[in-house]
Amino acid sequence: MTIAGIEAMNVYGGMAYLDVEALAAHRKLNSHRFENLLMKEKTVALPCEDPVTFGVNAAKPIIDALSQEEKESIEMLITCTESGIDFGKSISTYIHDYLGLKRNCRLFELKNACYSATAGYQTAVNFILSGTSPGARALVIATDISRFIVVDGGEALSEDWSFAEPSSGAGAVAMLIGDSPLVFQTDAGASGYYGYEVMDTCRPLPDSEAGDSDLSLMSYLDCCERSFQEYCKRVISVDYRTTFNYLTFHTPFGGMVKGAHRTMMRKTVKADSNPVAKADPAEIELDFKKRVAPGLTYCQRVGNIMGGTMFLSLASTIDQGIFDAPKRIGCFSYGSGCCSEFYSGVVTPEGQKLQRRFQIEEGLNQRHCLSMDEYEALLKGSGAVRFGTRNVRLDFDLISNLNLSAREGKRLLLEEIREFHREYIWR
Amino acid sequence: MEKKAIFELVVEHTCAVIPALKSHLFQPEETLKELGANSLDRTDILDNLMESLSLDIPRVELFGTGNIGELVELLHQYTLKCS
Repeated sequence: MTIAGIEAMNVYGGMAYLDVEALAAHRKLNSHRFENLLMKEKTVALPCEDPVTFGVNAAKPIIDALSQEEKESIEMLITCTESGIDFGKSISTYIHDYLGLKRNCRLFELKNACYSATAGYQTAVNFILSGTSPGARALVIATDISRFIVVDGGEALSEDWSFAEPSSGAGAVAMLIGDSPLVFQTDAGASGYYGYEVMDTCRPLPDSEAGDSDLSLMSYLDCCERSFQEYCKRVISVDYRTTFNYLTFHTPFGGMVKGAHRTMMRKTVKADSNPVAKADPAEIELDFKKRVAPGLTYCQRVGNIMGGTMFLSLASTIDQGIFDAPKRIGCFSYGSGCCSEFYSGVVTPEGQKLQRRFQIEEGLNQRHCLSMDEYEALLKGSGAVRFGTRNVRLDFDLISNLNLSAREGKRLLLEEIREFHREYIWR
Repeated sequence: MEKKAIFELVVEHTCAVIPALKSHLFQPEETLKELGANSLDRTDILDNLMESLSLDIPRVELFGTGNIGELVELLHQYTLKCS
């Protein structure tokens, strides 16, 4: 039987970040409320960065590590995003060009809020499992940014913005999907998907978000339970506590995942033969530290990257976890609007070694820490690349400390938008 | 279950999540948010209420209640529907 899953995975967390506690103090947000949110840092996209640059920079190390033959086996490139730059033209076309992939390749883009990367992953996995093109591989790239565009002299802060700003990040996760999936072998068919219409959070305007955090949390928790119930209908003898060595979640912020894990542990214990017993809080806390916390390490440093966040959590688990033997990971993906899925896969010790080649944590450590003045300057500068910009040349010296004009390197940056066409440069 | 009993349950579960409210005199016009419950606290309280009332309904069905009185009213309607 064909197997499928992740052969290689990399995360790109940008070039600049903000300390979220410093942001909260600057915005005078309630510090008590802040403590249980479990957030530390968030990546901030520069105006010369966009979903294309994030996507290419995540995928390039994967492609560079392939042989020419392996590179030419890529026959599908899916971008998964809610940060689209055009209503028709998909980001995958730009990424395909800058990665130098062959033209015998399907290129398209997927959308359903933070569920998009799971949709892309399952599409790619099913392409491999179908065997319609034996030996082919697929590249799935989840790429999202948040830009809070501030007009000079306007009142920037509203109730809605105050909860979204500290948690919204930017980043991309690239995954090579094939039939030698040492990094993460999918449990084919073991999937519980669950979706319906709810207006919890959305992006109804370019560069702007709207939503209700209460409704979103309720919908997330409903889906967490019910997608797992759907999973259990297809897989025998599942035990939430023992079937999965680790659990990864779509992570808007760490506190939400902690709450979801606690809810699931209490509900699944209740389902046992002893309906009166509740899972002990101390037991739940220990379990959280062991099975969930490794997946939060990178999420707490990058913030919510929408579509790719669940895979950011998976990458974090693989890098930070203990894999002295193959281990099964349970994955929960949720996208507002909404759609959710609970699925699982196995990570091998070899897979951990393969992933650690990309030194994701080191990449995050190399980011520049923005001062509040630099951050405010970026907010003002974001208007230059708002959705629909026809012509602009990007200012590489907006944050002089980054010294972008003088760099020599292998990162892609946006240099110019000319008659809506985006042109990039390697720096 | 009578609305008064449901109100008592709301008080009980809210105090369990926020012990500082044990000596507070709850009023139907108050909201859980005003009493200091954040969104994670509020979903904990709702989960415990649904368990006590043996209600298996999606949490989103309870979204939109303005204050404790309205929450009690909605829960009461669901207990009648589900019994």
